[in-house]
Amino acid sequence: MSEHRSLWWIDWRLSGGPLARETIGRFLFFCLLGFALLSLLLSGGANRLLADRYAITAVLRANIPSAEADRLARKIAALPPVRSAAYRDPEAAWKEFLRAYPGLEPLRAAGGNPLPGYIEVRIRHDRLTGDGVSLVVSALRSVSHVEQVLAGEEWLPRLLNAGRYASWFCRGLFGAFLAGFFLFCRLQERGRAVSLAGDFAFLAERGVPAGRIAVSRAAGAAVSGFLLAAAGTAAGGGALFLLLRKVPLLEGVIGPPADLFLPRTAAAVVVFSCGSALLSAAASLLGWRGARSGRK
Amino acid sequence: MIEAFRLGVFSRGSTLWDGLDFAFGDSSAWVVAAPPSSGKTLLLSILRGDRRPDAGNVVVSGESLYRGSDALARAYRASCGHVQEQTIADLRLTVEGLFRRSALAGGDVRDGERKERTDRLLAMVGLPGTSAWRIAEMSNSERVRAFLAAELLRGPKVLFCDGVVAAAGIPCREMLWGLFRALAREGNTVVLAERTIPERWALAAGDGASVGPFRVYRLPIPGTKGDPG
Repeated sequence: MSEHRSLWWIDWRLSGGPLARETIGRFLFFCLLGFALLSLLLSGGANRLLADRYAITAVLRANIPSAEADRLARKIAALPPVRSAAYRDPEAAWKEFLRAYPGLEPLRAAGGNPLPGYIEVRIRHDRLTGDGVSLVVSALRSVSHVEQVLAGEEWLPRLLNAGRYASWFCRGLFGAFLAGFFLFCRLQERGRAVSLAGDFAFLAERGVPAGRIAVSRAAGAAVSGFLLAAAGTAAGGGALFLLLRKVPLLEGVIGPPADLFLPRTAAAVVVFSCGSALLSAAASLLGWRGARSGRK
Repeated sequence: MIEAFRLGVFSRGSTLWDGLDFAFGDSSAWVVAAPPSSGKTLLLSILRGDRRPDAGNVVVSGESLYRGSDALARAYRASCGHVQEQTIADLRLTVEGLFRRSALAGGDVRDGERKERTDRLLAMVGLPGTSAWRIAEMSNSERVRAFLAAELLRGPKVLFCDGVVAAAGIPCREMLWGLFRALAREGNTVVLAERTIPERWALAAGDGASVGPFRVYRLPIPGTKGDPG
């Protein structure tokens, strides 16, 4: 067993200097990948941005008591797709109106506050879909206190489509970077396998099977790939955390820094690290095979 | 015990040699002397299990090396040490790198133990304090002695040396004479392939046996019957 373990790190033992440089480079790239991955995970592509901008407005009938409207808002807030539901009474609605359209104060002088109270409903970024919005809208429309629901249903599908395309584009870009990175790793592994070919031949001559060398190297690559991905993603996550704290504006696009500590984020990092470990092992085996077939 | 029966090699469109029998006993040192291009390196690679002969068979401790199990062949190769006549493949390495690689081939040797044994072995072959030297910067004699010391790190049961005595040079012959005989006395088998056997060694070993183009000498081992040491 000890022999197996010593072969896991055979590249480090035979070519420590160049491999250390490669590892530093890979770690830095994993930091970038980790930063991009966490940004993508938290933002959900363009979903967080859209969810931040989009709201459903439920205009209430006149003379609905505030307590009743508040209770209704709380009920709406309990729906699964809803992030928040806040009641604005007619007075607050009037103030908002004046902030948006200053100089229209005379409208009120004619016959009191012309604006009704309303409930502003915000959707969770991960539930911003046609179905999610329909669920909320139909729930609102079934309430007798609600006079009108403004959900932008005529342009919402186009907006959601645009958001979906933007998300796919972001994920595709990330995937392309990931694929390019591992293609580069494969070339590095191949180059290293070629440069160490004499040492592997030496070991094979002395009874160490070539297959065991290849598998042991792949196992070592998997372990180092996992550790590098985990460390790189943690470092990238740290940088993202600091950035979100320094620039709160980005929270609307990416999300709050606290989301980095959610269990699902940690699970995603573990899955990413495991995937990186598998890809590192595959790059090692492919590089080994490429080096051997190139030598024949 | 390494035995070779009716060995034959066909090379370059003709028969290089055929029907040769060898027997290399345990705890002994042998010199196989032959002129250039007679197939000494080839013979060693066949005896090591690296190259299947075109005819005949090699038997190690009663088991066929080429017709037996792969595991047996691997175990035998793992117990062998081999110093090549010349190599340019390892010029990028340092002497310490040679020892590190050799330790890998022999399983895990702790770093501290490896360094301590490295220093001892290098001093034994007349290269004390050279572990940081680059192979590319060493002379042929120094290289071959460094390679020999690195092989000895694993304590091989069978040691094959190809042209080591000639490459090491006359000043190192006495040291090698003592080293090979000491290894044999400790129970190892040493097989040396040389173009010529040094005169003093030939005087001690007697006439030797003629096998095809080869002349096979058994070196006298101190402490064994009939040898004064």
